[in-house]
Amino acid sequence: MVLSVAATLVVGCAHSEQDVSIAPLAPASGRVDPGLGPGTRALSSGPGYKGSPSWSPDGGRIAFTVDGYVVDKPADSGELRRWTTRDFVAEDTEWISDDTLVMLGATPSEKTSRSVYRARAGEGSLELEKVATGVLAMSPLPDGEGLVVVLGNGAYESGLALTRADGKVYRLYTNPVGGRVMALSPSPDGKEVIMAVRPPGDLKTSELRVFDLRKGSQKEITRLDGNQEILGTPQWTKQGLYFVAGKEQASPPVDRDGSDTLYNLYHVSTDGGAPKPAPGVGEDFVAASIRVSPDGGRLAVIGRLNPKAPANVYVLDLRTEDLKAVTTNEDMEIKTGPDDLAWSPGGKSVAIVARGTPSTEPEVRAAPASSLLKDFYNLYEIPVEGNDLADEEIQR
Amino acid sequence: MRGVVLWVSGAALAFFVTAGAFLILANLAKVPSDRSLAPDPSSGRSGPALELSLDEDQLASLRALPGQGLDLVVKNEGDRQLSDVNVTLGVSSENTALSDSRYYRQTVQKLPAGEAATVHFDFDLSAPEQTLARASSAVPEPSRKILEIRATTPGGVSGVRTVVLPP
Repeated sequence: MVLSVAATLVVGCAHSEQDVSIAPLAPASGRVDPGLGPGTRALSSGPGYKGSPSWSPDGGRIAFTVDGYVVDKPADSGELRRWTTRDFVAEDTEWISDDTLVMLGATPSEKTSRSVYRARAGEGSLELEKVATGVLAMSPLPDGEGLVVVLGNGAYESGLALTRADGKVYRLYTNPVGGRVMALSPSPDGKEVIMAVRPPGDLKTSELRVFDLRKGSQKEITRLDGNQEILGTPQWTKQGLYFVAGKEQASPPVDRDGSDTLYNLYHVSTDGGAPKPAPGVGEDFVAASIRVSPDGGRLAVIGRLNPKAPANVYVLDLRTEDLKAVTTNEDMEIKTGPDDLAWSPGGKSVAIVARGTPSTEPEVRAAPASSLLKDFYNLYEIPVEGNDLADEEIQR
Repeated sequence: MRGVVLWVSGAALAFFVTAGAFLILANLAKVPSDRSLAPDPSSGRSGPALELSLDEDQLASLRALPGQGLDLVVKNEGDRQLSDVNVTLGVSSENTALSDSRYYRQTVQKLPAGEAATVHFDFDLSAPEQTLARASSAVPEPSRKILEIRATTPGGVSGVRTVVLPP
C-alpha cells in the first residue's frame, strides 16, 4: 500500500514536470532540406534568377547576381545589400578584397561588348567604376593579388591585362593570344592562368592554353579534335589541369533530363599532351561544371554518375581519386552555368544554385513569395567533409 | 496482531487520501498558468485565423493578358467576428528587376466567426512592353507571374497565399 502511494506520488509529480518541460522548437537557423540532402542551408529565398555565387575572402559575406543585378548578404543571415542598378546587367561577380567586388557585365549603352566594373562596399551609392572595356573573360588572382582580364582584339585575337584591387591596370601584355579566350582561371600560385580558347576560324572552344603572367609567354596544352568543345572554365589543381568537354548537343545540359548529354571530365598535365578521362569519377560520369578548392587539392563537380542518374554535387579528392557525393538530390534542378558553383574560402562548403522542377500548373503556397525556396532559383550552401584551411588561417 | 494490521491499513488509507488531495490541489493550481500560455486568438500571431481558398480551375485559366478575374474565399477560422478585413492582390513577375508590380485591394466589412466571404478581383496580368527587352537580356528563360494574396485585419489577424503561374 505504501509503495503504491509512493508510486502514485512519483507518477503524479513526473506528469506535472513533463507539462512544463516541453522545450520550444529550435529555430531552423537557415538549415533546410529543400531536396538536396541533410545539412543544406539556404543562402537566399524568394523570386529571381540567381547565379554567380562568390564568397568574400574572409567568408563573411556572399555575393551573387539576381536577374542581372548584383547583391550580397552576410553568409549566415541578414538582409540583402544591392550593388548595382537595374540598368546594369551583370553576368559574373567576384570579390577581389573583403570590401570590393568586380563585375563582368554591360550597361544599356554597351550593345555588343562587356566591361569589367568595380564597386566598393560602404560608399553609399550604386556607382560603378569602369576597369576595362571590351572584356571577354575575367578571373581574380589568389591572395588578393588583383584581377586578370581578357580583352578582345578583334575576332581572332585576345589580349591579357592585370589590374590591382584598386582597379588600376598595371600590366598590359603585348603578346596576344591567337583566338578568343572564352574562360580562364589561375594556377594555385597565381603565376599562370589556364585558358579555354576558341582558335581563329574554329566555331568551338577547343584549345587549352597556358599563359605565364610573369614572362608574358604562352603555350598550347592541348587541342581537341573532331566536334569536341570545352565547356565552362578549366581548373588548375595540384594534380594538373581539369576541364569538361564533349560534343555539342541541342538538348539541355545536365540539370535537366540530360539523357543524351555527352560532356565528360578530363585531365591533362600542365606540361601538355592528350587529355584523358579524369581518374576516379567512373567512365559513365557526366560532368557539367567544375571548381577547384581553395588549396587546389579537391574538385567540386556538378554532374551525374551516369546519364540516367540525378544531377548531384560531387567532390573529387584529386590525390586519392576518391569521388564523394555531397548532395542527395531527388527532384531539384541544379544550375550548371560556368559561374554557378563556388567554394567557401576555407573549403568547408560549396555554394550552388538550384530550384525545384517548375510545374506546368499553377502552384499555391501558404507563405509569402519572399520566403519561398524551391519555386525559384536560390543559393544553397552544401557542407563538404574535410577542409583546406583552418578558420584562423582564413581570418588572417 | 489484528489491531496492528488495522492500524497500519488505516494509516496507509489516510496517507493515500491526503496525498490524492494534494495532487488534485496541485493540478488545480496549475490550470491558470497553462491558460496564460495559450495564444490570444485576437492577436492572430499564433497562426492564421483567416483561411484563403483559391479555385484551381480558375487559376489554370488565367492568361498573361488584361481583364483577368479571380474569386477568393476568405474564411474566418477564429471564434470572434472580424471587421475590416483588407484583402490585397499583388501581381508581379518572377523577374525581380522588373518594376511592373500591380496591386489591387478589396475590403470585407464584417466576417463573423466561422463564416466565409467571396472576394472578386479583376486584374491585369499582362507584361509591360518596356520590360521585355531587359528581361530577355538578363534572364534566359520566360519569367513566371506571381500572385500574392494577403488578408489582414487592423487587429493583426492575417492569411497569405502565393500563386506561381507557369509562363
